[in-house]
Amino acid sequence: MLLKIQNLTKTYPNGKKALSNVNLDIPNGIFGLLGPNGAGKSSLMRTIAALQESDEGTIFLDDLDVLKQKDEVRKILGYLPQDFGFYPKVTAEDMLNHFAVLKGISNKAERKEVCEALLQQTNLYEVRDKYIGDYSGGMRQRFGIAQALLGNPKIVIVDEPTAGLDPQERNRFHNLLSEIGENVVVILSTHIVDDVKNLCHEMAIMNFGEVLFHGKTNEALNVLKGKVWQAQITKEEVEDYRNRFKIISSKVSAGKICVNTVADAQPDKTFTSETPDLEDVYFYYINNQQK
Amino acid sequence: MFKEIFLFELKSWFKRPAIYLYFLLYLVGSFLLICAATGVFSGNTQDTNSFINSASSVAGILNAFNSDFFLGLITSIICVSIMGSCVQKDYQYNIHSLFYSKPITKRAYLLGRFSASFFLSLFTLSAIVFGLILGFAISPNDNGQIGPFSILNYLVPFLTFTVINVFFIGVTFFSLVTYTRNLTTGYVSALVFIVISGIASSMTSDIENKTLSAIIDPFGNQALSALTEYWTPSEQNERMVPLESYVLLNRLVWLGISLLIGFVTYRNFSFSQFLSPVGFKKKKAQEEVKSVKHIQFLFQLPKAKQYFNFETSIQQLVFLTRFEIKKIVRSVFFFVVIGIAVLLMVVQHNFQDLFYGTETYPVTYQMLDLGAILSQFFLIILIIFYSGIVVWRERDNKCDELVYSTPVQTWVLFTSKFLSLVGLVAAVYGAAIITSIALQTYEGYYNYEFGLYLYEYYGKRIFGAIVLCAMAAMVQVVVNNKFIGFTLTTLLTFGLQIVYNTMDVNNRMIIFNSSGSILPYSDMNGYGHTLYVYYIYKAYWIGLMLALVAFSMPMWPRLKEKNYKARLKYATKQFQRSYMYMIILGLAMFLGFGSFIYYNTRILNEHKTTKEQEKEQADFEIKYKACMKDMQPRIVSSSVEVDIFPNDLGAKVKGFYYLKNKHKEPLVKIYVGMYEPNDIKEIKLQTQNTKIIDDKDFGFYCYKLTKPLMPGDSVRLDFTLEHYTHGFSDDETSTDIVENGTFFNSSALPYIGYNDNVELADNSTRKKYKLDPKPRMASIDDTTAYGNTYISKDADWIRFEATVSTIPSQIAIAPGYLEKEWESNGRKYFKYKMDKPILNFYSFLSAEYSVLKDKWVNPKDPSNVVNIEIYYHKDHPYNLDRMVNSTKRSLDYYTAQFSAYQHKQVRIIEFPRYSSFAQSFPNTIPYSESIGFIAKVDADDPESIDFPFYVTAHEIGHQWWAHQIIGAEVQGSTLMSETMSQYSALMVMEHEYGKPSMKKFLKYEMDRYLIGRTQENRKEVPLMLVENQQYIHYNKGSMIMYLLKDYIGEDSLNMAMRRYLKDKAFQEPPYTTAKDFYGQIKRSTPDSLKETLSDLFERIVVFDNLVRSVTVKKTNNQYKVTMVVNTAKTKSDSLGKAKDALVDDWMDIGVFAKNTKNKDQLGKEIVFKKYKIKGKEQKIEFTLTEEPYMVGIDPYNKLIDMDPDDNVKTCPKSY
Repeated sequence: MLLKIQNLTKTYPNGKKALSNVNLDIPNGIFGLLGPNGAGKSSLMRTIAALQESDEGTIFLDDLDVLKQKDEVRKILGYLPQDFGFYPKVTAEDMLNHFAVLKGISNKAERKEVCEALLQQTNLYEVRDKYIGDYSGGMRQRFGIAQALLGNPKIVIVDEPTAGLDPQERNRFHNLLSEIGENVVVILSTHIVDDVKNLCHEMAIMNFGEVLFHGKTNEALNVLKGKVWQAQITKEEVEDYRNRFKIISSKVSAGKICVNTVADAQPDKTFTSETPDLEDVYFYYINNQQK
Repeated sequence: MFKEIFLFELKSWFKRPAIYLYFLLYLVGSFLLICAATGVFSGNTQDTNSFINSASSVAGILNAFNSDFFLGLITSIICVSIMGSCVQKDYQYNIHSLFYSKPITKRAYLLGRFSASFFLSLFTLSAIVFGLILGFAISPNDNGQIGPFSILNYLVPFLTFTVINVFFIGVTFFSLVTYTRNLTTGYVSALVFIVISGIASSMTSDIENKTLSAIIDPFGNQALSALTEYWTPSEQNERMVPLESYVLLNRLVWLGISLLIGFVTYRNFSFSQFLSPVGFKKKKAQEEVKSVKHIQFLFQLPKAKQYFNFETSIQQLVFLTRFEIKKIVRSVFFFVVIGIAVLLMVVQHNFQDLFYGTETYPVTYQMLDLGAILSQFFLIILIIFYSGIVVWRERDNKCDELVYSTPVQTWVLFTSKFLSLVGLVAAVYGAAIITSIALQTYEGYYNYEFGLYLYEYYGKRIFGAIVLCAMAAMVQVVVNNKFIGFTLTTLLTFGLQIVYNTMDVNNRMIIFNSSGSILPYSDMNGYGHTLYVYYIYKAYWIGLMLALVAFSMPMWPRLKEKNYKARLKYATKQFQRSYMYMIILGLAMFLGFGSFIYYNTRILNEHKTTKEQEKEQADFEIKYKACMKDMQPRIVSSSVEVDIFPNDLGAKVKGFYYLKNKHKEPLVKIYVGMYEPNDIKEIKLQTQNTKIIDDKDFGFYCYKLTKPLMPGDSVRLDFTLEHYTHGFSDDETSTDIVENGTFFNSSALPYIGYNDNVELADNSTRKKYKLDPKPRMASIDDTTAYGNTYISKDADWIRFEATVSTIPSQIAIAPGYLEKEWESNGRKYFKYKMDKPILNFYSFLSAEYSVLKDKWVNPKDPSNVVNIEIYYHKDHPYNLDRMVNSTKRSLDYYTAQFSAYQHKQVRIIEFPRYSSFAQSFPNTIPYSESIGFIAKVDADDPESIDFPFYVTAHEIGHQWWAHQIIGAEVQGSTLMSETMSQYSALMVMEHEYGKPSMKKFLKYEMDRYLIGRTQENRKEVPLMLVENQQYIHYNKGSMIMYLLKDYIGEDSLNMAMRRYLKDKAFQEPPYTTAKDFYGQIKRSTPDSLKETLSDLFERIVVFDNLVRSVTVKKTNNQYKVTMVVNTAKTKSDSLGKAKDALVDDWMDIGVFAKNTKNKDQLGKEIVFKKYKIKGKEQKIEFTLTEEPYMVGIDPYNKLIDMDPDDNVKTCPKSY
């Protein structure tokens, strides 16, 4: 199965370009979509989820024309939006049943069985008769995954699912995602580099509606092999360094400030070579684009 | 700090368009309101004496913007949005914690916020004043409806009412929203206030409740009415609305309540509390239950098959509808709303159909009417409100992306929302039915008509609700903004009507969700022949809804797109063939039923606008007025055969008149006219003639006789008429001929000569068509008008016979004695013949009747027997005994006191509730089912008025006072018919029930007179010159005659009546006038009372008497009572401009013992006698041996008194 996105462009009425000429081939497995807030990730996700129109371009899931056959897309889709809520005073069990009905699982016994299994799977079975409104953030996200998995979707879209979760919850969530079968296209959008690092075989980096990088996650690291340099400087020096070098990121470490730059050769004696990690790749592309 | 918050708030509002929009809404709304009232667009003005821009009128209009169901609700919504959102927004945008942690004092915060929103609300409402001023400025003033401009007329009512009302509702909303952080509570309280105000208004139908209702009305509207209700036109025009009595009390009470609420809010408010709103259930964050780690893998999930077929959609529809309904009925708001609905019904029922304070049996049709209160207003608001809730439910709960990305069909989503609204309506209907049945049970009425309830609500009204539900849901989908959606649907349902009224448009086809001109349910006639019309109109609207829904369904916001272009683009893509079919079906229904309606209301039945009608009346007058000078022969005999076809809604009349030349000259021209021109089949004058006027449009004909009709000679006029109801019309449904309960009178037959009754009566309208002003009635001194009676211009006393036929299940009735009754050709025939001459005034009735027969034997002459027959609907036996008893007592009294009864029978015949009156034809009294037949007289309450007894006595009185004595067609003539029938009935009642029952009855009469005169649009006249004004000839007449009886005694008054009857009964023209009547009364009145008599009949005199103070001193078992009474007397001119007059009148002074049953009522009379009271203040002393409890001047309220309640005073307890 292959999700093929070609020349996808979307401009909002206020003139903001949400997607500009996006081309992506997304195979089975978990695909990471990395980008800062406002990069166009959600626009892309919604467009795939038949919740938004595009101005130009096509999306095909094998032979299925995603943009035109919205009804067909909805039949094979599991979707967890970035920002969502539930009806108040409805228990998890009822809510899941509600979604199961909407997904066309007509047989009552089957519906009950699958809902219970999903609640088990997402570790919510014990609290299934509690109102979802009273759930903690992690529980809500897991419930979100449960509803997305109803009806054996062929394509699962999860938009920023780990934002705001504590490390333990995030871990649980990662486990859950990683279990989703190999025969399904899973698109995970996130602005957290670790999510991609842990889960995704393939990935893309987006910003300002454009795809900046697209490929295997380990290939991404190859791009910067041997090119990342780090210096430890003081606060007063930051301004100077920023002017002199192409700083892609800076972070505070043990009272000192570490700045990273990308260069083919050692830019300066203060810099030492660093093994590139995904974060460097991410910042490299983001900052490069801005210039 | 206060200043900053205040200004910040103002600035932020004035930056947004909303506040200007509200301002504009009020400006345009009030402007249009005035335009509609003064006829700016329609050009229809009416005679009036009252300035529409007087202070009291402006106060009424300003008040309507608070208390009227529609306007008040709009105001409340706007105030909630201003007041509520001031508080709400801090929370909504999550900036509250930021705000509250800043160093702002509670005082500055609360007062700043409140003052700003209060100021803003007042600002928007002030637009009403400007709208009014503008409206008045451009209003036509040819009828003098606009008085001189005075800014105080606006300022004072605005300060007195609007400012305090806004303060009150503002404080309440502000407090509620502050505590619950939920705008819904604000809306609910708004609804509650309007309902209270409505209840206060309906309470006043029992006049004992006036004071209470004046206080409990939160908007002061009833207080205003109570204060100004007796203001005559000239007072209305000149007086300022004073802050005194009821108004002052009401304003103080509600201002006090507001301050209290405000104070409590202020005291209990704390910023931290703000974060946890007061709710009905305290939520507790759930701790996650740790569970054992599961072992399954996702691929091991059980496989569930998904279906995407139509059956699945239906299953989803049922599921979602049930889900929505559950959501609705489980909300607190729903229960509050149902509670209010039930309360509204219960309270309204208490004051429903009261006649002189007497209740009626809660028959099912009344309960259906009661439930209609809900449909008219309440349910509409509920549907509109919930349409926003259900359509927005996913987005409001942020689960729209989850739900809308599932493979559920859009039509399933829309339809589930729509059906849940219908389900909501069904639930309210259920509550209405249960409430109705509970009320019936409570009142001991056990004739439950469950089938009728179910049919009316679920088989009929529900279709109206369906149209509205579809519209409301559709608007919410299309406009995609909840509040604009609310406003749009509200304007569509209520506002459109106002616009039409403004423009004199009256076409039900463009009145949204109209039901056609249909008859109300009647016990006698059921739904009648117009039931199908309801369904035709609903099918027409449902057709339109189908088409519109099909257009709008693809617009369902399934995508996250907000702008219209994108939504339309998507909708176009979604548009499927099935939507096309829906549109075709819908449009076919809309156009098909629409054409059918158009055919019926515009082609089959003529429809005229007010203007067209006026024009026609004016044309007729201009064209034919000249014919009036030609003397005409008089009808002396009428013989008719009337065939009534109740099931075909038609009647055929074949008959003839004999017309006699009663003049001294020969007559050459004879004019014949018909009110219903189309009913004429043939008219034939049985003498050689040429038709010189043949006007089929007006139904007016003139025959020139070849051989003149010589004095004393007669000619026969034959006529054949046919009247059938064809289809249905846009005008009020004619109820002359219905399936069960036909009732029409002689005006359906041809008349002779030019008839000035059809002329335009309103002088400002006449002016528009360049017609000379016309007096309401000819002057009492105009002897040229003595030739006709006030009810007939073409006959004096006639011979009458009629054969009436109908279907076998019914009985057909006309005046006269039944000579023969037979059946032929499957029809039943009744031949009636009158043995004595009667007025040219008779009726025809036909219905299925049960008959009660009885006899009255004259106690003084056993050979004088009168048959009593009551023709009634089988389910209405409640008051037959009272009617029979009243008939007998009336005959007793009238034959003994006045003269012999000219007939040998009295028949009372029930007819359906389409009109609610009883009317006296010769020995025949049609009597509406809604007035006496279902009255419920409380036999245990001595003050309760036996309403059927009274009406029967009044109508039988007419057999003397109209059918023996009939006045000329001049001022004052209804004095001898209506006033005298009223007096007669009063006397029969007093003899039957004693004096206490009189007091309550007369209190109503006085109240109605005093209110009636304030609405006089031409001029008030003294009783003797009454121009058919009901408030004078009925209400004032009762008072005056009762007082006169009190002054000169029943015997001498009745003796005068006997003399008068002897002199004038059954006279030929010239007819008697009130002068003859008055002359007889004068003869029986001692000289000492002559001046008083003039006050009663020749002047407009109103008193204002009261007991100023009373003291009691007890010495040696003796009580020395000293009372000071104040008296005032005014004589008014015809506009009600009062001049003080010197008091020099006989008045009752009484001292009363304690009434053991009810201490507020008068007890036993210790002293009771007439005193001559002079001047403004007088001290009166008594020494008594019995302990006094109350004293009073005119304690029984025999005199017309501006404030009848202060005429008695309770003695102080300690001496």
